[in-house]
Amino acid sequence: MALLERSSWYDIARDTNWTPRYVEIDELFPPDQSDPYGIPIEEWESFDEPYKVSYREYVSVQREKDAGAYSVKAALARSRYYEDADPAYLSMLKLHYGAIALSEYAACQSDARMTRFSKAPGMRNMATFGMLDEMRHGQIQLYFPHQLVTLDRQFDWAHQAHHSKNWAAIAGRHALDDVMMTRDAVTTSVMLNFAFETGLTNIQMIGLSADAANMGDFTFSNLITSIQSDEARHAQIGTPVLKILIRNGRKAEAQQAVDIAFWRIHRLFAILTGIPMDYWIPLDKRDRSFKEYMTEFVGEQFERQLLDLGLERPWYWDIFLEDVETHHHCQAAATWAWRNTLWWNPTGNVGPRERAWLEHKYPGWNDTFGQYWDVIIENIRAGHPEKSQAIGMPAICNMCQIPISNKGGTVWKARAHQLDHEGRLYSFCSSVCKWIFELEPDRYKTFNSIADRMYNGEISPNTPENILKYMGAGVISPVGTDAHDLAWAFA
Amino acid sequence: MSDANDVAKPLKTWSHLAKNRRRPTEYEIVSTKLLWSTDDDAPWAMGPDVPLSKWYVKYRNESPLRHADWDGFRDPDQLVYRTYNMIQDGQESHVDGLLDDHSKNEHDSGLSDEWVAQLARLYTPSRYLLHTVQMSTAYLAALAPSSTIENCFIFESGDHLRWVSRVAYRTAELAAAHPSAGFGSGERARWEDDEAWQGFRELMERALVAWDWAEQFVAVNLVARPAIDAAMLRALSAVAQENGDTLLALLCRAQLVDSDRTQKWSHALVEYALQSDGHGKANRDLIRGWLDKWSALGDKAIDAYCQALVPGSDLGAEVKRTVASARASLVEEPAAVG
Repeated sequence: MALLERSSWYDIARDTNWTPRYVEIDELFPPDQSDPYGIPIEEWESFDEPYKVSYREYVSVQREKDAGAYSVKAALARSRYYEDADPAYLSMLKLHYGAIALSEYAACQSDARMTRFSKAPGMRNMATFGMLDEMRHGQIQLYFPHQLVTLDRQFDWAHQAHHSKNWAAIAGRHALDDVMMTRDAVTTSVMLNFAFETGLTNIQMIGLSADAANMGDFTFSNLITSIQSDEARHAQIGTPVLKILIRNGRKAEAQQAVDIAFWRIHRLFAILTGIPMDYWIPLDKRDRSFKEYMTEFVGEQFERQLLDLGLERPWYWDIFLEDVETHHHCQAAATWAWRNTLWWNPTGNVGPRERAWLEHKYPGWNDTFGQYWDVIIENIRAGHPEKSQAIGMPAICNMCQIPISNKGGTVWKARAHQLDHEGRLYSFCSSVCKWIFELEPDRYKTFNSIADRMYNGEISPNTPENILKYMGAGVISPVGTDAHDLAWAFA
Repeated sequence: MSDANDVAKPLKTWSHLAKNRRRPTEYEIVSTKLLWSTDDDAPWAMGPDVPLSKWYVKYRNESPLRHADWDGFRDPDQLVYRTYNMIQDGQESHVDGLLDDHSKNEHDSGLSDEWVAQLARLYTPSRYLLHTVQMSTAYLAALAPSSTIENCFIFESGDHLRWVSRVAYRTAELAAAHPSAGFGSGERARWEDDEAWQGFRELMERALVAWDWAEQFVAVNLVARPAIDAAMLRALSAVAQENGDTLLALLCRAQLVDSDRTQKWSHALVEYALQSDGHGKANRDLIRGWLDKWSALGDKAIDAYCQALVPGSDLGAEVKRTVASARASLVEEPAAVG
């Protein structure tokens, strides 16, 4: 007889629930941390993860994955790829690492909460692997950019961004604190494993990987593909959780958790992925447009998974589809104009060929976003590049913490959705962000956006210089400038 | 450090490590200062009355164990994810080898009925106990005040999933060799009702709800883990050897490799807390108080388990003495100088 198959002992390893005697069950599993839905523990014991792995297999497979990723990095380090890379491409890496490295590490604590507080033994074991996975993703995405600080100090933001009060980092943390860090184990799983990891990480990890490979950056392409292979495994914690919720009459709560998280994370990823894909990657290296990725990977796949589970598309699906064609274009223009607040160097990169591509992929682009860039280009060509640099603070959404914006040009859809709550006026980018606030105002009402902080004395004096300093711009690294020194404006 | 001249210069490492004036290790690059929730008084961007906001303030930020710089703690083994998998892959290959060899020599069918009954009573139910440690250390990972401390707890939780899995594996193997001994079906009842386990069960159930991160660390890593190691691994392994169960003896020894690693960093963390400027003495008193409180339960656990393992012997007393002296040396006053 040789070694046993995994299946012969696996169920025993996830048969670990017991009835506590020395403490109450609600003490062992406080509803605020564990399950506020009151689902019977026997139901949780039916949790069956679709993707099974043993610890023995895990350490072996993960060791091999790391050996692969680190050896590709080491081999390619000699090619001096980053020394000669397109500065706009490097901006994509700076944005990615700054936004992602510590966020992934933060998810260790989300998985840790599931490991401790889930009433489903199988889920506790899977979340233990999830916790280890997220440590991998935090560490490897610090190790890779670390060598680049010798090249360019803006890479220091891979470690510093989430310790800073930069507006973009505040927006990221607000969403992640909401979705990953402050919910009970069950809701965290629905929001993080299902809505975020099943729904949206594909776009960053698969979509950007294709563009990175086209750019010849096999180190990064290989890295994020390797990360996605872990995400694809631990994301599957979410599906059985949803099945149990739905079976136990909690479909409405499950749907709401999905709807909140999907929107919140979409608002971030559109900036993180949409802008590099549609603006920074050179035309001949673009794999697909952001919209095509979102339609295929997110729209169709996610929608099918929702419907298969017996859930519905989020109520705001039409607004979401419109946002996929709008939000990242607005933010591409806005972040470029406020580039001195950034830790990366964005490029406008809207020459005639790029504009033709954008019009083709997003019919109507020229009449809307194009008109905005027309004015910018006109000023630059007239020898007034300073007029392309925004001054002052835009209106910031009190939910997603991102500048409030919408289509300009001939259609002019820009407006704020406002709400008077307990005597304070809150502004939102959309009816969806406003809806999330109204669900739980106490959760959100005390937070001050970066714009609020300019008027409540936290940023004092609220001079442009001081605001930049508050955000770490020019303090942690030199501020963002146009990656191509405006050359595209003369194309 | 923040003037324009400085900021224009490239860095050799992360700015927060630059002051160290030496090349940082891989461990430092990827492990230090990774939590944003310790940057401000409010851990999260959500409102102060959100339950998880209150929880982190109360049980992490306001823990009576104080240190001005928890981020300064370093794992003495400098373990990172990459090296953890390398080490554990090697360790798991070793365990696979043990299992394979003993399966081939029909080890299980050679065990006496008496010993098989002991295994069903005192070994295979241990997955429940090990799982409580997996859960507890995950909680400690979630509540740790710095990433360097959090990582140690994550590895510890992973280690326990490892041994829950290996005990499950052995349970299935023993069930195949001894179908009527209750393997794979009787463990929960043993864990819940057999007096051998009630000490450990009470200790861990109470430790799991000792929400202050530092107190739970003391209860689990300084009291429960040493008790488990001493009674359930060292003593069990010796008795297994006497009963011809070489495989269990070797498995216990393999598990102790993980325990030694945990013990090393746990002691380093205590040492770090005792050296805290301005809080060292208070921390010593606090840890000592917690050790006294929890070791009462730890001793009960050792007694109950050892009594079942070797009835009527003084094994329990011996094991208690060993763990007590290790505990005492942890919080000893430093010897007077001169």
